[in-house]
Amino acid sequence: MKTKKILFTSLLLLGCIHFSTSQDLLDILENEQQDTTGYLPATFRMTRIAFGHSTEVRSKGVLEIFTSSRFWNLPTDRSQSFAADRMSTRFALEYGLSDRLSLGIGGTTFDGLFDGYLKYKLLTQKRGIKTTPFNITLFQSTSYNSNSISNPAIYDDFSDRLSFTSQILISRKISSDFSFQIAPTYVHKGLMVSGDDNQDFFALGFGARYKIGPHLSLVSEYYKTFSPMESFDTYGPFALGVNWEIGDVLLQFMLTNAVNMVEDAFITQTRNNFNFKDPNLNFGFNATYVIHFKNKLK
Amino acid sequence: MTKFLLALFLIINFSYAQEPKKVIARQGQVSFFSYTSVENIKAENNQVLSIINLEDGSIAISMLMNTFVFEKALMKEHFNESYIESDIYPKATFEGNILGFDAALEGEQTKIIKGIFSMHGVTKELEIKTKIEKSQGKYILSGTFETLVKYYNINIPPLLAGNIAKSISINFRFEYQPYEN
Repeated sequence: MKTKKILFTSLLLLGCIHFSTSQDLLDILENEQQDTTGYLPATFRMTRIAFGHSTEVRSKGVLEIFTSSRFWNLPTDRSQSFAADRMSTRFALEYGLSDRLSLGIGGTTFDGLFDGYLKYKLLTQKRGIKTTPFNITLFQSTSYNSNSISNPAIYDDFSDRLSFTSQILISRKISSDFSFQIAPTYVHKGLMVSGDDNQDFFALGFGARYKIGPHLSLVSEYYKTFSPMESFDTYGPFALGVNWEIGDVLLQFMLTNAVNMVEDAFITQTRNNFNFKDPNLNFGFNATYVIHFKNKLK
Repeated sequence: MTKFLLALFLIINFSYAQEPKKVIARQGQVSFFSYTSVENIKAENNQVLSIINLEDGSIAISMLMNTFVFEKALMKEHFNESYIESDIYPKATFEGNILGFDAALEGEQTKIIKGIFSMHGVTKELEIKTKIEKSQGKYILSGTFETLVKYYNINIPPLLAGNIAKSISINFRFEYQPYEN
């Protein structure tokens, strides 16, 4: 009798052991999975939200051929210009020196600014066990104003013609569709129109992206300048746009009041507010062609 | 009688410890290729997990979509964000059986694995011809198969239809070690 009891108990125990090991195979794999789910694809996808920089940087060996154009009309009743009265284009080359550091140089036709920048990705947003809540990218640009200055009262040595912009870009992909960015910005301007104006500006940028399709997203961007120029009225640059990604070509279409395309210029000297009257409304078009120089599985 | 039972019990336990019932591959390789006249796309994933229950020949595979590496950095972004949507569907899984699997057979055998594959929110029944090699307690599964992009509800814009092949070829290779629970 006792033997039977022992036998029965051991069989039961055996059954239990067997049961515990025959758990679902996929559940076992679930537990085995290393914490590599953290990577979040593309907060903004493009290195710019609309006119301003986003936290995105390009990977090592990636060259972007970047053209950015703005078209606008003069407030005359009738004009006979083809398509638009005025246009401005910035051509630039932007290259990923490493997976974190990018370098760019460019020139703009309308305002005669030549600019160069360095952009360094400090933090990448991650989720999972090691969570990083934000993307943080440091941005530093320098621009050279090449316009001829006729006024002898204005100092226009090489160093006077330089302007500097420093930004800390902080962004977060809040959901799979929505990303948001704030950008504390410091601008030091060279070449002032009036001696009354201060040369140092603090500004805060806001940008957002909403994905409306696998390849299409809506974007908006705004910069608030805290110590605006006094010699003429300036307004915060604003843009509303659509970003479209097709393979190696990235296109951005936007409506904006910012004529300039270099940071120090559009943040401090946007002279028109955003509305649909000429010449305030600019149609903006950015086209980026991406070339990969290091084609290796990595 | 008691002694006999005890012996039986020990033998059962011992035999459990001796022969692993499950084997696992932690660094399985899965790669896919898309060949078109415009562009060749190749991606590799070396961190695919797979487990086989040797008793009944059932098999499971799990892979994270964002661990695929591409030749072009931008392709990885496009793949994760626009095509496979890896933040919504982070994993692809397979659960099935190796039909007529003889776990004890040393050397090579070719079997059909039949099961359910799920990726990008779509589940699909697959039958894959697989080469199974066993040597010194290690199992290696490898094979190639083709599948169509259109089965998986992946949206390819008409402009890029020429860049991405309609049929994608997939290679896989898993090396299994005994799984200690």
